[in-house]
Amino acid sequence: MHGLGTIFGHEMRKILKDKGLLLGFVLLPIISLALTVTMTFLQPKTNSEEEQDVEVYQMYFSGMQIGTYNIGTMDDHEIWVKPTSMKAEEFIKTSDFQKCDVLVDFSEVTDPVKKTDSPCVRIYYYEHNTISNYLKMSAESFVRDAFANLTKRDYEGVQFREIEFVDIKEKEDSNLLIAMLLPYMLVLPLTANISNFASDTVAGDKSRGTFYQVMLSPVKPLSLIMGKVLSVSVISLVSSMIYIGLDVVGSKIRKQLGTRDLFGFADVHITLVQVLLILAYTILLSYFFSNLGVLISLFCKDVSQAQTAQIPVTLICTVSALMSMFRFGVSPAIHYFIPVYNLCLIFQDLLNGRASLVNMLNVAVSLLILAVGVLIVTLLTYRSERVRA
Amino acid sequence: MITIEHLKKTFRKNKVEAVKDVNLTIEDGEIYALLGPNGAGKTTTMRMISTLLTPTSGKIEYDHVPLEKDEENIRRRIAFLTNEIRLDGQFTPNELADYYGHLYEMSREQIVARRDQLFEYFGIKDFGNRRYETFSTGMKQKTSIAICLLHDPDTIIFDEPTNGLDILTQHLIEEYLVKLRSEGKCIILSTHILDLARRLADKVGIVVDGRSVFEGPMSELASSQNVETVEEAFLKLYKDNHEEQTIIGKNNK
Repeated sequence: MHGLGTIFGHEMRKILKDKGLLLGFVLLPIISLALTVTMTFLQPKTNSEEEQDVEVYQMYFSGMQIGTYNIGTMDDHEIWVKPTSMKAEEFIKTSDFQKCDVLVDFSEVTDPVKKTDSPCVRIYYYEHNTISNYLKMSAESFVRDAFANLTKRDYEGVQFREIEFVDIKEKEDSNLLIAMLLPYMLVLPLTANISNFASDTVAGDKSRGTFYQVMLSPVKPLSLIMGKVLSVSVISLVSSMIYIGLDVVGSKIRKQLGTRDLFGFADVHITLVQVLLILAYTILLSYFFSNLGVLISLFCKDVSQAQTAQIPVTLICTVSALMSMFRFGVSPAIHYFIPVYNLCLIFQDLLNGRASLVNMLNVAVSLLILAVGVLIVTLLTYRSERVRA
Repeated sequence: MITIEHLKKTFRKNKVEAVKDVNLTIEDGEIYALLGPNGAGKTTTMRMISTLLTPTSGKIEYDHVPLEKDEENIRRRIAFLTNEIRLDGQFTPNELADYYGHLYEMSREQIVARRDQLFEYFGIKDFGNRRYETFSTGMKQKTSIAICLLHDPDTIIFDEPTNGLDILTQHLIEEYLVKLRSEGKCIILSTHILDLARRLADKVGIVVDGRSVFEGPMSELASSQNVETVEEAFLKLYKDNHEEQTIIGKNNK
């Protein structure tokens, strides 16, 4: 692959020497970050709209036998302790469980099947709801103080190690916004950048006459094409990653500041595995688009013609990303074979924790096959009279 | 030495027969002027010689080796320059020399030595760190030529090399062509400027409507057509062969 590194390095330097990049590459992401953080200051720290007008506040108990009784009042509302026979994870999804309630789950402590070496009591609550937050603290002291009395009759000898707090809001809604937006945030800047870079690096070189100089050198066609594809791919990838990275940073800053997010579901909780998988798919995506961009540009005489020719690709990708934003539930398996759209689905699934191995493989393999196919067509086009005449 | 026999090129897309039957023999240490009116097929011929285009039929040999058999190595030995060559404007001549030198697998030392030698000759050494886009037309052309010759090619193909250049730059390039000839290089010069060919060329080939109609020493061009000047000989060859094609074309209809 003689010349691949040389061409790649030259193309990268050429792109980075373009002052116009500063706008898209540095300034816009910084503005985006500033907006994300600023918007959080506009929101009150309380969550009044979620504090429903209910008659009583309830402290539910799951996994233990307990009676129903009143334990006091708060703001003229009675606080009731109630048992539930449902599993905690299921009960919190029912309409009986209000945003101002809490659920104390003893199942790990009392259920012999679930029993572990270090059983813990879980208190499910809504962090952003002030009532639920207060009840959480009451529940904690209630559990600590009343535990012995509560358990000595039916569960003698049973102990728990610690109390774990589970923010239902966080668990339910984290990543929802980023999962919805990620395909759009990735695909749109990616296709727009690739359209610009690929047009300049191929059609621009053709119109300047420098493309033919490289064609006349002993560099093999594959090295020349790959050098250009990789440079376009890397620079577009970095650009997209800056946007995503800054969004995550923005969310973290907001959390540090203690303000709630604008939409109520914009929290980002991404594990390293999720980051790596998203990165792997984005690399595949940018490589595929770059191949396509270079192929289209090969047919064009100058930059503006190439950019115009790439508009349909950008549009198709944008529509695919938009369509994925409005999907609900699980998509049929066949959708994972639709190019571009399937990647949008996988991005969402990865963030929602719904990605299956079969779907992930389908998408990766189909995209790789497409990318190789486009590369072969690009090499054939490179040798054609249309490019060389 | 380059030998071209019965070279033909028909473009697939529009079925245009740009080159119909071109025959040339270009020796080492010789400046060969390929003459012809606009649209005669000179540039297409040059592009086939330089490996950019594949002939429809016919033969191109470099030192008796068919072009298609050793294309990659032949590309190492040739330089193809046109007056339209422009380099990436955001780079300096030094950076461009590094880039093109590496494409030809030259070592760093080779690049620096050759770059200094060429930049010195063309008067661009002091501007090695200035961006190419800031240069005047003449400076750009000189830089392009220096970069194209960086890998010390055996065969230099010039397509209208002095078009649009001021007289000083023209003179410098012409002098360099003579220098290359003295070094034993094989130089093909495509032009429609007869005066340039008369001053420089050892041998001339004339192409009219995609066919070779004359090949021989420059000094014999006029006498071969029984006229006094090179211009008259060129016009006579053009009229005879162009009209002939037209008549054949009319008869075919």
